[in-house]
Amino acid sequence: MVETLMRRWFGRRGDRLPPSAPHHVERGPVARFGEFDLPLFWAVTALTLMGLVMVYSASIALADESPATGGRANYFLIRQAVFVLLGAGVAWMTFQVPMRVWQSLTPWLFLLGVVLLILVLLPGIGKVVNGSRRWIPLGPINFQPSEFMKLFVSFYAADYTVRKLRFMASFWRGFLPLAFVVVLVGVLLLLQPDFGAFAVISAIAFGVLFLGGLKLRIFFALILLAGAAFAVLILSSEYRSQRLFAFLDPWADPLGKGYQLTHSLIAFGRGKWFGVGLGGSVEKLLYLPEAHTDFLFAVVGEELGLVGVCAVVALFAVVIWRTFTIGRGLVCVEQYFSGLAVFGIGLWIGVQTFINMGVNVGLLPTKGLTLPFMSYGGSSIIANLAAMAVVLRADWELRCLRRGIQV
Amino acid sequence: MEQRSINPLLVLAIPVWRQRMVVFSLLCLFAILVLRAAYLQGIQDEFLQQQGEARYERQIEVPAMRGRVLDRNGHILADSSPVASIWADPAKVRQWSHEDLSRLARMLGMSTDELGRRLEKGGRRFTYLRRHLPPDEARPLMSWPQEGVGVVEEYLRFYPQGEAFAQLVGLVDVDGQGIEGLEASLNSSLAGESGKRLVVQDRRGRVVQDSVWVERPRDGRDVVLSLDARIQHIAFRALEQAVARHQARAGGAVVIDVRTGEILALANWPSYNPNRRTGLDLSEVRNRVVTDLYEPGSVMKPLLVALALERGVVKPETPIDIQGGILRVGNHSIRDVHATERALTVSQVIQKSSNVGVAKIALGLDPKDLWRHYRAFGFGTRPDLPLPGVAAGRMLPPDSLKPIEVATMAYGHGISTSLLQLAHAYQAIANDGVMLPLTLMRRDAPPPIDEMRRILSPKTARQVKAMMELVTQPGGTATRAAVNGYRTAGKTGTAHKLENGRYVEKYLASFVGYAPASQPRLVVAVMIDEPKAKSYYGGAVAAPVFAEIVGQVLPSLGVAPDMPGPTVAAAQRPRG
Repeated sequence: MVETLMRRWFGRRGDRLPPSAPHHVERGPVARFGEFDLPLFWAVTALTLMGLVMVYSASIALADESPATGGRANYFLIRQAVFVLLGAGVAWMTFQVPMRVWQSLTPWLFLLGVVLLILVLLPGIGKVVNGSRRWIPLGPINFQPSEFMKLFVSFYAADYTVRKLRFMASFWRGFLPLAFVVVLVGVLLLLQPDFGAFAVISAIAFGVLFLGGLKLRIFFALILLAGAAFAVLILSSEYRSQRLFAFLDPWADPLGKGYQLTHSLIAFGRGKWFGVGLGGSVEKLLYLPEAHTDFLFAVVGEELGLVGVCAVVALFAVVIWRTFTIGRGLVCVEQYFSGLAVFGIGLWIGVQTFINMGVNVGLLPTKGLTLPFMSYGGSSIIANLAAMAVVLRADWELRCLRRGIQV
Repeated sequence: MEQRSINPLLVLAIPVWRQRMVVFSLLCLFAILVLRAAYLQGIQDEFLQQQGEARYERQIEVPAMRGRVLDRNGHILADSSPVASIWADPAKVRQWSHEDLSRLARMLGMSTDELGRRLEKGGRRFTYLRRHLPPDEARPLMSWPQEGVGVVEEYLRFYPQGEAFAQLVGLVDVDGQGIEGLEASLNSSLAGESGKRLVVQDRRGRVVQDSVWVERPRDGRDVVLSLDARIQHIAFRALEQAVARHQARAGGAVVIDVRTGEILALANWPSYNPNRRTGLDLSEVRNRVVTDLYEPGSVMKPLLVALALERGVVKPETPIDIQGGILRVGNHSIRDVHATERALTVSQVIQKSSNVGVAKIALGLDPKDLWRHYRAFGFGTRPDLPLPGVAAGRMLPPDSLKPIEVATMAYGHGISTSLLQLAHAYQAIANDGVMLPLTLMRRDAPPPIDEMRRILSPKTARQVKAMMELVTQPGGTATRAAVNGYRTAGKTGTAHKLENGRYVEKYLASFVGYAPASQPRLVVAVMIDEPKAKSYYGGAVAAPVFAEIVGQVLPSLGVAPDMPGPTVAAAQRPRG
C-alpha cells in the first residue's frame, strides 16, 4: 500500500527515459574527451577550489601558531594543494578503468578495505589523533582507510545487489548477508572509533539495497532495528550519550561539551547575510577547533555569509542531482552494477555532506566527518575525487552505449 | 507496463520512484540545512554575535599621556615617554620547552637561570619580567607564539632637570601615579583620564583587530610653573657648595619675585636623582623649605621693629639702652652676642642684631597686637600652595603671653615657621608693605587685587628697609651678603636648635633678604642646618649663599645695577 502511494508521489505517469546530459551528444564512433557530465565536473571543481581557498583561510592562524607546521602560515594550503593534485591524478587514472573491471575487482577491493581497517586498529600501525585510531602514517602524510572503504562499500553493495536481484523480496537471502557484512565493517569502524564513517557506510549499503528494490517491509523492520541498535549504542556509552545530547543545548555548557558547537554557531551568526569577508573570520583564530577540517563550513558561514552557505549547498545539490541522474540512466540501460555504484557514491556524498553541515549548524551531534571536496585531509579529498571519476566514467560509458558503442 | 522496460521483472525490482525519493529526500535535507543556516545568520545572529563578542572582545585600558611639568620658560621638568613592560604567567611559562625558555631569556637579555629566578620570585599567575623597555625592544614579544607572556604599553616619567627639582616636582610610582611633590598634589590634573578601547583578541589574548574607542583617553594637562630652571640651578648649586663647605646636615633656599609673588626657585639639599629611584632616603625626598619648621631667630627682628614703628612707639633713630647686652625678664636673662656699646639706635639694633634691643621694644608693645601682627605676616597659617606637607608653623596662644614670651618672640624664639613663610613675610616688606599671595604657577597677569594685603604703611616699610640695608653694609652682621653692583638688604638669623624641649649646641643659620635694595625684585631666603665647620652664624654661613644667588640671578634677569662706583665696573668685567 505504501509502495503504491510512493509510486503515485514520485513516479509520474508516462515517465520517459531520464536525459543523460542536458546538452546534446554528437554522433560518432568514439566518445571524445569532454563528453562527460559537465555540470557535475564543474560543480566538483568549484567545490574543490573553493575548499582550497577556505582551508587556507581557516588554517592560517593555526599554522602560524603550531610548532608542528614550523610556523609557516601556508603549511595547510600547500599540503591541501598537493592532495588536490594527487587526487586529480588518481581521478584521471580511475577514469581510465572500465566499470566492468571495478565490478570484477570488487571482492578484492572490499577485502583490501577490511584488511586496512584491521591494520589501522593495530597499535603499532594505527596512529591516534584526538582519541581515535583512524590513520596509518605513511611518511609525511597520514592515510585514512575508512575514506576509501566508503568507495569500496559502494562497489560492494552494488555488486551484491546485482548478484541478489532475484532475492530482493527475501529477508534471509536478500537482506541478511549484506547486513552481516555491514555489521562486521561497523564493528571495525566503531573500534577506532569512527561513528561518522559507520553512519555513512551503513547509509551507502542499505541505501543501495533500497534502490536495488529490496522489499519495503524489510526496510521498515530495518529502520526499527537500526533505531533500537542506535539507542543501545548511545545508551551503552556515557561519552556518546553526553556528546549526543550536548548538541541540543550547547549553551548549557559552553566551555565544556558545548564549546566547539557554540563557536561554530557564533561563526554563522557573525557571518549574517554576506559574511565578514574572506579572511575576516575571528572564530578561526584558535577559538573554533578543527576549523580547517570538520568545521570548515562554519568558517564559510562566517566569512561568506548565508550567500556563501547557499552557494556551497547548491553546488553539492548539483553534484547529488547529476550523480543520481547518471545512475538512473545507467539502470535504465540495464547497467545495474554501474548504476547502483553511482547511487552508492551519490548517497555517500549526500549523506556525508548533510551530516557534516548538520553538525556545523547544530542540527546533529558532533561527528568527526569531513565536508567532501572541501575539508583539509589527503585521504578524504583523494577518495572523493576518485569516486567522482567513477561517476564520470560510468556516465561516459553510458554515452557510448547510447551510441551503440560497447566499452 | 512501461515501454522502456526490457525485462519486466527487473523494472519491478529497481523502481524509479525510489531513486526520485532518495534524491528528493537528500535535497530536502539540504533545504533544511539552508533554513537552519538562515535562522542562525538572519534571525539568531544578534544573540550569536553577542556571544561572540563576550568571548573575544575586550576593553583594553589605554593610558592617558601624563601632562608635562614645565618651568616658566618652557623648559621641561617632567616628561613622559612611551615604554613597554613584559609580563609573564609563571604557571604557563614553566610548561614551555627548554628551547623556548632560552629563546625568551635571550630576547630579554638575561640568562636562563635569571629568567627562572624571576619566574620564582613573582606572583603565581603574574609577574613582570622586564619593565620600561623601549617599545622597539619589546615588539618581538607582542607576537610570541607560546601562551604565557605579553607586553603592556605604559608611560615612563623622566625628569630632565634631575636632582635640582627633585623635591618640588616629586615622583610618580611605578604605575605612573604621583606620590611626591607636585606630581602627587597635581596628580588629578596631570594624569588625565585613561581611555578604553574595544579590541578583538584571538584565543591567546593577542589583539588581532583594533576596533572602536569606547572612551578616548583624556591626556593630562601640562603644568607651567612659576619656577625658573636657571634660577633653581643657581640656588641649588650655591646651596650644595655651602652645605659642603660648612659640613652642614641640610639646607634650603627659596627665591620669590617681589612684584608678583611667584616662587622662582625652591631648592633643597640633600637631594636625589628622581630618574633612579632605588634606595630612596626619606630625608632626601623632604621639601624642607616648606615642610620643616624651626625657630627663625633674629630674622624676625625687622618685623617686630616694623610694628613698633607703625604704632609710633619708636622711630629709627630712637636710642635703646642695651644695658651691656643683658636684660633680665622675670628670672630669665636675655643676652646679646656682640654687645659693644651702651646704647644703640633702633636702626643699629637691627644692624647689630641686638636681642636686648628688640626685647625692650617688644615689652613696650601690646602682646595681643604683636601676636596679630605676626599672624598678619602669615605665621601660624598654612601657605596656600599645592604641595604635600606644607607646614603652618606654630605660635603661642595670644591670651596668656608672659613678658618673657613676648621678649623672646621679638627675636624669633617661641615661634616656629618654615623658610618659605619667612621669605613671604620679607616679600611684604620689600614690596612696601603689600603682601602678595604666593604661587608656584606662572602668573601671566598680576595677582588679583583683592588677594593683596597691606600689612605695613609705605612709610614704615621704607624705614625698615633702610635699616635692613645697613645689615649688609660695613658694621652690619651680614657684610658677606653684599653683591657687586647691587644694593642688598636683609637680616641674619642664628637659632639654637631645640631637641627634646631643650636648646642644644646645634644651630640653624639663616639669611633672608632682597635685592636690589632700591627697587626690590627678588626675595631670597637661605637656611643652612647644623653648620659644623668654623662659624655657624647666619652672616657667615647663609649670607654668602644669598650673595651668590643674587649676584648671578639679577644680571641674568637684566636688572639694572643700582650701586654706582668701581664695584659696578668690577661686576661688568668678564669673569675669567
